[in-house]
Amino acid sequence: MKILLAEDDFASRKFMVNYLEKYGECDITVDGEEAVDAFIMALEDGEPYDLVCLDVMMPVIDGYQALKAIRDIEKDHGIAGDDRVKIIMTTALNEERNVKKAFEMGCTVYCGKPIDVEKFQMILKKLELIK
Amino acid sequence: MAEDFNMENMLDIFLYESSQLLESLENTVLEKKDEDCFDEPAIDEIFRAMHTIKGSSAIMMYENITKVSHKLEDIFYYIRESHPDNVPHLELVEHVLDVSDFITGELDKIRDGGDPDGDESGIVEELDEFLTQIKSGIEKAGEELPPENKYEEPSQFYIAPAGGGSVKYYKASIYFREDTEMSNIRAYTSVYALKEIVDDMEYMPDDIISNENSADTIIEDGFHMLIKCKHSREEIIDAIGDTSGMERVEVNECSQKEFEMGFHEPDQEPIVIELDDKEKEKKEEKKIKTEPVPGDYVVKGKETGKGKKLAKNQSKSGPKQSYISVNIEKMDSLMDMIGELVIAEAVVLQNPDLKVPGLDLTNFQKAASQLSKITTELQDVIMSMRMMPLTNTFQKMNRIVFDVSRKLGKDIGLDVIGENTEVDKNIIEHISDPLMHLIRNSVDHGIESKEERIAAGKNPRGKITLQAKNEGGKVYVIVKDDGKGLNKHVIYEKAKKNGLVGDRPITDFTDKEIYQFITYPGFSTKEQVTEYSGRGVGMDVVVKNIQAIGGKLEIDSIEGAGSEMTLKIPLTLAIINGIVMLVGNSTFVIETNAIKEFVRFSKEMLVREPGGEEYMMLRGECYPFIRLNQRFHLAPPETAEGGDGEEGIVVVLEHEDEFICVYIDELIGEQEIVVKPIPSYIKKVQGLSGCTQLGDGSIALILDIAGLISGNERR
Repeated sequence: MKILLAEDDFASRKFMVNYLEKYGECDITVDGEEAVDAFIMALEDGEPYDLVCLDVMMPVIDGYQALKAIRDIEKDHGIAGDDRVKIIMTTALNEERNVKKAFEMGCTVYCGKPIDVEKFQMILKKLELIK
Repeated sequence: MAEDFNMENMLDIFLYESSQLLESLENTVLEKKDEDCFDEPAIDEIFRAMHTIKGSSAIMMYENITKVSHKLEDIFYYIRESHPDNVPHLELVEHVLDVSDFITGELDKIRDGGDPDGDESGIVEELDEFLTQIKSGIEKAGEELPPENKYEEPSQFYIAPAGGGSVKYYKASIYFREDTEMSNIRAYTSVYALKEIVDDMEYMPDDIISNENSADTIIEDGFHMLIKCKHSREEIIDAIGDTSGMERVEVNECSQKEFEMGFHEPDQEPIVIELDDKEKEKKEEKKIKTEPVPGDYVVKGKETGKGKKLAKNQSKSGPKQSYISVNIEKMDSLMDMIGELVIAEAVVLQNPDLKVPGLDLTNFQKAASQLSKITTELQDVIMSMRMMPLTNTFQKMNRIVFDVSRKLGKDIGLDVIGENTEVDKNIIEHISDPLMHLIRNSVDHGIESKEERIAAGKNPRGKITLQAKNEGGKVYVIVKDDGKGLNKHVIYEKAKKNGLVGDRPITDFTDKEIYQFITYPGFSTKEQVTEYSGRGVGMDVVVKNIQAIGGKLEIDSIEGAGSEMTLKIPLTLAIINGIVMLVGNSTFVIETNAIKEFVRFSKEMLVREPGGEEYMMLRGECYPFIRLNQRFHLAPPETAEGGDGEEGIVVVLEHEDEFICVYIDELIGEQEIVVKPIPSYIKKVQGLSGCTQLGDGSIALILDIAGLISGNERR
């Protein structure tokens, strides 16, 4: 599977990469804008990502903006329903309004930090990204 | 800092909403438990509650909760669609309560930071059986089964942060040996290691990487960190590690306040201001509950040693809301502040500077009366803010009566009167447990079994009445049952065995006094210990709890007809109206409500018993007489020779229908008194309930009338 990770904090990034590399090729970006660029690039190359992990608090554009941008781009390309990429927001913001907003904007999973690795894995299974 | 954002955590909201739903569901179920079946609104409500819990628990990935609620939802789906006639109502009620208990239990686990790992299979199996039964009933009636209630997996999930346990705060310091080179870099190594495990941290000096000179500061003053994390002290020490050059490492737990304060000079003034600002910020944030907008969380660059800063301007004003929930701690501190304000007001209005002769105070008095009016109103407002109806507490009792009476095979109804009575939040917290005890006692010991009741010619269905009312500055909570009542002979014998009565005969005691014996520790007349009561612990705990809030438990009973337990609790706790008086050189305060009258003292009224006890004759009535200066071993004032002076005043006090006369030297005046507890380093003195600060800054002691009376009896 192809994974895109956007995370500006080095420690978190390292942790996520270590964890995600088991499951597939993992591209790393350090801010929201890069993440959107990478997403477009992959889409145009015909090798779209299967999973996007977005941090919320990021430089240049934040996770919400990136999420919106990605969903807009998909819409533009006529990608809908289950074909859309699975997006996991990873953030320490656990306030209800943040979570609701993210769900509204079309994220698949909202994952609080520090990440509960066990549940993260369960989710990946549930989403049929891993077996 | 991170805590600026997490005031309404997704997890908290889930827990809150689910428990609310369960609570109202339980109430509905208990309300309808005596009917033949649930009516449509009730069915709808249960169905919807289960549906919501199922959905949200699925998003939160608590699978056992999802399964159980889904099953129950299924049952109510069939009931709603097909209206089967063969539903055993009581069984269904029990199933619903079982499910509600199960989920509540799991929610508690989550709340305590654990995993909801309860095994749901037993309950699901029972529900399955029940469902099959209903389904076959529907088919037998020749009706078609409604289409299956299909479960759709949610498409979005939320993963709660790992280890949602309680957050702890630490202060850590590292000291390096004087000859250590690059101590700043070594310090940063520790910071780096800690970053992996902490939620938030701050350190000082905070420029250790960019400023080489910081190494000197570190060697001189040590390197200090404030840490917020969920790990233990040992784990932190482990993470800091043992780099060469470290002389010693100190890690101590600290309070959240200390953490939020950050590193400041140990100077009083600025800290207070800082705190105020913090509070304000938080309050403002409370009001702003606008949705986050994409772009709010763009990071504007970081500063070392501090949390991330966001570009979003936090102080936008949001739409108004009719309710806000406030942290009870803030309410308590507001209440304290108002207490201080009342004292400060007295300090200003009774300032000795004003007593200069010939001062024209007309304008001052006007302003002063305006100020008094506002502070009084302020007190009323904060009091009313803290008032809550007893409804919730009383509803819980419903459940207890149902559970216990079913287990004991008794048929008991609970009547609730006056559940809308409002009392201070503090009081609610303190009476909930005692009430539960009293109700259990009534169900277990009070109400007889059905056979006994029929034999005694009573209604086979027992009745417990729970009543609350507000009267004369006091709250009365009454638990009354129509059971067998208390047997005073049995209680007396038992008290005698326990050595509580000495060799005084039973006729020496009033009925009420005998009943009071059951509130002594280790006193239970019930021969058999049951699951619910009879261990002899309980009534004394009840009394202790009630006394903690200045209340009293009164017991009354008629044998064969039932008993009545009355909790009398003062309505407000913090600010009372009191009369200030002088005894010797000490000032005392007595609550105005307790004072019946003032009498000028004359020797003729005094009756002295051979044993040294003194009584006072007043209009043909005889009252116990107490000299406060003797009681509290105060030096007698100069005017009264040998403490037998004619100058004094006698105050007649009443408490719970008992009267007592107290001899004092001088009255000073009436004023509002902020009750403060007597500091713990002073031994508890009987007859004193607290202290307060007067306008001139001196301390006055508040008399506890109940204590005075009982102390007098003991002599």
